[in-house]
Amino acid sequence: MTTTPTPPTKQVTPGTGPATGPVRTARSLAWERRRHSMARFWSSYRTHRAGLFGLAALALIALTALTAPLLVGSDVQSVTAAPGTAMEKPSGEFPLGTDQFGRSLLGLLVWGARISLTVGLLAAALSVAIGTLVGIIAGHYGGWFSTVLMRITDWFLVMPTLVLAIVLATVMSRNIWTVVIAIGVTSWPTTARLVRAQTIAVESRPYIERAKALGGGHTHIMNRHVLPNVMPLVLAQTTLGISSAILTEATLAFLGLGDPTVVSWGGMLQDAREAGAVSSGHWSYLAPPGIAIALVALAFTLCGRAIESVLNPKLGVAR
Amino acid sequence: MVTTALPQSARQRPRFRLVLATGAAAASLVTAGAVVPEAQAQPQARAAAADNGRQVLTVAVSQSIDSLSPFLAQRLVSTSIHRLAYDYLTNYDPEDGHTVPGLATEWKPSADKLTWTYAIRDDSKWSDGKQATAEDAAWTFNKMMTDPNAATASGSFTANFKKVTAPDPETLVIELKEPQATMTALDVPIVPKHVWEKVGDFSKFNNDKQFPIVGNGPFVVTDFKVDQYVKLAPNKAFWRGAPKFDELVFKYYKDGDAAVAALRKGEVSFVQGLTPAQAEALKSAENIKVNDAPGRRFFALATNPGAQSKDGKKFGNGHKALLDPAVRKALFHAIDRKTIVDKVFQGHAVEGEGYIPPRFESYFWKPDASRKIAYDPAKAAQILGGAGYKKNGNGKRLGKDGKPLDFRILCHATDPNDKAIGKYLQEWWGELGIGLKVECLDNVSDPWLKGDYDLAFDGWSVNPDPDFVLSIHTCAALPATPKDTGATDNFICDKQFDGLYAQQAAEYDPAKRADLVKQMQSRLYDTGYMNVLAYPNAVEAYRTDQIKSITTMPEAAGNIYGQDGYWSWWSAEPAAADDGSDSGSSMGVAIGAGAAVVLAAALGLFVVMRRRSTAEDRE
Repeated sequence: MTTTPTPPTKQVTPGTGPATGPVRTARSLAWERRRHSMARFWSSYRTHRAGLFGLAALALIALTALTAPLLVGSDVQSVTAAPGTAMEKPSGEFPLGTDQFGRSLLGLLVWGARISLTVGLLAAALSVAIGTLVGIIAGHYGGWFSTVLMRITDWFLVMPTLVLAIVLATVMSRNIWTVVIAIGVTSWPTTARLVRAQTIAVESRPYIERAKALGGGHTHIMNRHVLPNVMPLVLAQTTLGISSAILTEATLAFLGLGDPTVVSWGGMLQDAREAGAVSSGHWSYLAPPGIAIALVALAFTLCGRAIESVLNPKLGVAR
Repeated sequence: MVTTALPQSARQRPRFRLVLATGAAAASLVTAGAVVPEAQAQPQARAAAADNGRQVLTVAVSQSIDSLSPFLAQRLVSTSIHRLAYDYLTNYDPEDGHTVPGLATEWKPSADKLTWTYAIRDDSKWSDGKQATAEDAAWTFNKMMTDPNAATASGSFTANFKKVTAPDPETLVIELKEPQATMTALDVPIVPKHVWEKVGDFSKFNNDKQFPIVGNGPFVVTDFKVDQYVKLAPNKAFWRGAPKFDELVFKYYKDGDAAVAALRKGEVSFVQGLTPAQAEALKSAENIKVNDAPGRRFFALATNPGAQSKDGKKFGNGHKALLDPAVRKALFHAIDRKTIVDKVFQGHAVEGEGYIPPRFESYFWKPDASRKIAYDPAKAAQILGGAGYKKNGNGKRLGKDGKPLDFRILCHATDPNDKAIGKYLQEWWGELGIGLKVECLDNVSDPWLKGDYDLAFDGWSVNPDPDFVLSIHTCAALPATPKDTGATDNFICDKQFDGLYAQQAAEYDPAKRADLVKQMQSRLYDTGYMNVLAYPNAVEAYRTDQIKSITTMPEAAGNIYGQDGYWSWWSAEPAAADDGSDSGSSMGVAIGAGAAVVLAAALGLFVVMRRRSTAEDRE
């Protein structure tokens, strides 16, 4: 990365300095600038058809998850109030059939979206937060401190994520937060590496030197100059991270390490396996949660890729 | 992929890999079960049928072997293998469970009931050619009486023995301290003295280094690999007659669906522990017979009665409110056993009553209508209210300390029934305003032995002689100190129960003993520390094109796996070697094909997307 001179991106960079006008305040200028960059971002994003498809799919799924209490109601999880009999085939009443408790699988699928999305988003956010923090600190301070941090990062990088997550999920009590933490603390090293590289690139620019000369301290440099410049990278990384977090959540739940009392897609697969749905040929129990996981992961990946190529400074120049 | 600009490719690669990994992982989740069994079935389909003319009987098992030493083994799979490898003094008749000759041909007590004389058969040989004699039996029992490490598995049988001698090779004399009713049901494998007297530390010796293992049962253990297989060869010289199969293999399938797929393929001949959905699907499969028999297990809820050791020390962190009989009674009143049988077991179980399953007719006891803690949520709420547990504004029931009542229940992570019933309990007890946290663990033993539980899912297989399952609720079974491990099931210690236990143990009259056993169950029911929810059936299936006939126990509507005896595998007759085992997999193929199509479509989509999105990158 360091070999490529990266010009400042469209993001807010205080170093460029706002032009002063007689009636316009700094705040209104900043807002205008942001509106501008958002519009530019959107017009560029629009050109990525895959990204639009991903966004549409995400919007649909998010809407379904948010309106699940209205669409299916929280009763759908209840085993004592289950409307059907066990393992029914798809019918008019139950479009995807029922599970071993007689609950509607379509209802569970809709309800499960809530947990899968929540865990995916939280875990990705946690992972990116840790990665950004470590990356910026390591990149900014450099020296032996950076070396130590990066060796720790390397250690986490070579650890098989899933194995580590399984160990964490096993030793901690079983609930959603455990899964979030297990995924979050195991998947941050990639972000840390990327952010550190970007930090070093940003800090080699002359305006950072100017800021230092004007008396900017470590915190000021990191918060006001470096962070805004690594944000695009972080944003893209988060979007891509969500899909892998959702997959890891599903994997953990499928392995029986999730919270058994909440309905999630991975948990549905695990339930299906325990009920013997595979060998008894109940495909309608098995396939929908798997396809849903694949779709959401795909949608996030498509969005992430589109955002990344929009924000990629290099591609921006080429256009 | 373009690799002209270095920085670009450096950033591209991880991303591309991620996309691929995403697709692959997602697809593997979609097709998880469907593909795996197919793949596993490939290498040695039809291994079970005649290969090189040898008839191999393969049994799918999932439980790990704890030890192959008869002095240590306690798990069902291990004790079943010991039944096959060693002869016991007596055996149970497959038809009705009455005592029949084993290594002993005859037995009789003295007039004072304290001396038992067994006639040992002269036609039983160890697999290394030496004669099995009364000396071997005497040595086995003496070892268990003198070495505490050798008494781990079945020490309860010899605890009351005073002296065991073998005056001649065909006579065994056991002198007792007190009369003992289990003298014709001594479930202790007799081991060859000339092999075992060389063993040093019985707590560490697992009997799994030298094969074949010297024994005198209908089979000889020839090979063992942890969690892979146990192989047994028939003992051609077995006195009751040689088994008909040329080899018996217990093969490990940790996943039930994989085992069923293997059965459909003909890779294994027998599968047990089927889920209702699997049993339903296998019923219509060709060449497969599903055996749904009343089980010998009970499935119960145990509440922590305040864990304690023999020295009177209390330990563990069981919930104080559960020490109140009213709370326990209310909890049990709020359980609908019929729903559990209908929904969770889907009819493959019998509603829980007393303690011993109805299959053992002579000992079966059930509470009469007036005492029965039947499903009655209104009454449960009334009991709790009457005992001073009121609901607060949020609908939560408050304990005596003013804190909301929240219990934990220990559940076996490997048992789907535990989890399923846990879900129902959460809702039923939630109505009462009582919270329940279902703690599913792979290893429940640790918190259990420490007394760190409020409630737990509990279950035991019951032998035709109920002595053992009753003994685990006596004070004598408590651990010596909080650090020790006792034989106790649930830390129950009740004077009245103990008194009845001592009486039944010394009662030689079957009818009177049965009556005492019923009184014990009645007492256990009244203490309310245990509540039997159901007696699950044994749901198993075997291939009729590989096994022509097999003995169930009891003969009418009995189980095959985990019998009290070696009857099933010893009696199993191979079917004529005809080719008919490739049926029944069409559904699997269909699922696999469907999954492959989905996978291919997903991959295709990825490739198209990728090509399109990188169109501007390519030069």
